[in-house]
Amino acid sequence: MERLTNLLALLLETRSPLTLVQIAGELAGMYPDGASARRAAFERDKAGLRSIGVPIETEMVLAGSDAGTSRYWIDRGRYELANLDLSPEEQRALQVAVAATRGGSGSAQDGLWKLGVGVAEASSAVIARLPSSPALAILREAVSERATAHFHYRDRERVVEPYGLVLQDGFWYLIGLDRGHGEPRTFRVDRIRSEVTLGDASGFERPDVDLRTILPRDPKQMRIDEAAVDAVVRVRGARSVLVERDLGTQRVLVSGGGTEADPQRWIEVSVPCENREAFRSWVIGLGSDAEVLSPPEVRADLIRWLESICEASAAQGDVPQGAI
Amino acid sequence: MARRPRRTAEDRLARLLVMLPWLMEQESVPLSEVASRFDLDESEVAADLELVSMCGLPPYVDELIDVFIDEGMVFVGVPRLFTRPLRLNSMEAFELLVAAQSAMELPGADPDGPLGRGLGKLAAALGVDGPAGIGMDVDILGGSHVLVEQVVAATEGAQMIEIQYWNPNREEVSLRRLRPLQVFADRGNWYLVAIDSGPDSESLGELRTFRVDRILEMTTTGETFERPEIELPEPGRWFTQEGIPQVKLRLRPGAMWITERYPMLEVGERDSQGWVPVTLAVVSSDWLERLLLRLGPDAEVVVPLDLRAVIRSAALKILKVYGS
Repeated sequence: MERLTNLLALLLETRSPLTLVQIAGELAGMYPDGASARRAAFERDKAGLRSIGVPIETEMVLAGSDAGTSRYWIDRGRYELANLDLSPEEQRALQVAVAATRGGSGSAQDGLWKLGVGVAEASSAVIARLPSSPALAILREAVSERATAHFHYRDRERVVEPYGLVLQDGFWYLIGLDRGHGEPRTFRVDRIRSEVTLGDASGFERPDVDLRTILPRDPKQMRIDEAAVDAVVRVRGARSVLVERDLGTQRVLVSGGGTEADPQRWIEVSVPCENREAFRSWVIGLGSDAEVLSPPEVRADLIRWLESICEASAAQGDVPQGAI
Repeated sequence: MARRPRRTAEDRLARLLVMLPWLMEQESVPLSEVASRFDLDESEVAADLELVSMCGLPPYVDELIDVFIDEGMVFVGVPRLFTRPLRLNSMEAFELLVAAQSAMELPGADPDGPLGRGLGKLAAALGVDGPAGIGMDVDILGGSHVLVEQVVAATEGAQMIEIQYWNPNREEVSLRRLRPLQVFADRGNWYLVAIDSGPDSESLGELRTFRVDRILEMTTTGETFERPEIELPEPGRWFTQEGIPQVKLRLRPGAMWITERYPMLEVGERDSQGWVPVTLAVVSSDWLERLLLRLGPDAEVVVPLDLRAVIRSAALKILKVYGS
């Protein structure tokens, strides 16, 4: 660590770029004498410094006695953090924000330290758990710099003009123009298994689109190939209160019950069902409190689904193996 | 304190590079304060500062950083190097931006307040212009905003509450008296961690987790309570507690999404017929029942076999609503 610190100090202090031989000379006795051992030790240190974010500049010497060797230095302007001039309240607000989120790699706190903010003393009463993914940081850079992102996704190499990142229902999505398809697409970031590399900055024009038109908040509205269509669902009992709050009163077509003859409260609601799978999941989540009334094909689809479950479990046999 | 993994030379140097600029501003500061601010033991701080005080380049050997510790106080002399922290790396920038944006979504956040201003300065320092340039849309609130805000207010004010809670296992609504301790968002849902006194308010009760969207109604009782000194489970980690029953399933490709959505204990290799065996911990039998109904023919129970009959009767129960 001593050598690492001294190397960093030397590269920051030097007025002109240094070759490895010059560096070893300045740090007398710290690097091995043999050329290949020295090179290996230096490469390790260089990688170590870069891993903590130190930008080390490199240039090739073109002429003179050192021609063909590399010279190294650190540009202070690229090394140092610009002064953000955060007020104490702003520092405190960022500290509270970091204390209220979980699930990252801990880099947020490292960043806070650089901004001159320490560890929060009390834990927060409200906490948001955020999913993390190695590709997120570079994809955000791509969005900010308007650089194309190149990665492997679902058996294909993709070149994407990234418009933005959306966190929804616990997953991060990248939204952008898939150049191979020529139209906007949504990519689940945790399904990007390859490295992400970026093209040049300002590599495309970002259209003025609302990300939410490409990725709707309600998964039941996510279109696959079907046209926009609403189903009518009747919900009974205490569940009807939760469903009404969830969907909003404007989706309630009619309500009833709560009388002596019909004591159980019920509502009929109109629910988007463009995405049949998401819709089916939602209705099934309500169990026997919900009934799809229309359209008939959506109702029939749900009945078929449930019947297939009964048939499958009957075919598999309800009786444990070994029993009579 | 939990044992940390051994710190590498890079970790130590990275922490020093944020510690030194701050120390230089303070000139002298108690060692204990340095340790707690930078989340280290006092001995670790002392060892690192001692080491850096030995660093230096000819002709300034030992003079790189003028720092010494005396009687539990850290003193730093005239700074020459390392006066500014390193710029943020891409991961730090990303996690800070996400934390700030998420906190802005949390109940009670004021976009024009210190957090909003701090986020603006951070974005500007990263070369991002305006919210669209950040390119992130964080939706952690989901539905039921008003209720979440009420629950958060009661939690922060340590107010006793009474809730009408829908219990899907028993398909009934029950009245609970709670001491709310923490509210957290995870995978698109909001949860409340509270001490459940049951109907008997005298007993201290058990620590339980409730889903906020299943609360039909919430009222404060007007009493406040003393926050007990108990450790709360890390949000989202109760899934993996020991002693929770395990279930083995096999999945077709259409059901593989559950391996990304829910914590799996084991995911096996795809067999020749295209099935993938998985093992998962099941917190509630009701949850598993609904999950299997949603997966339909794409999932099959392997162990325990008698679960197949349970799923079949659950499907039949819903089919009865449709008169078939």
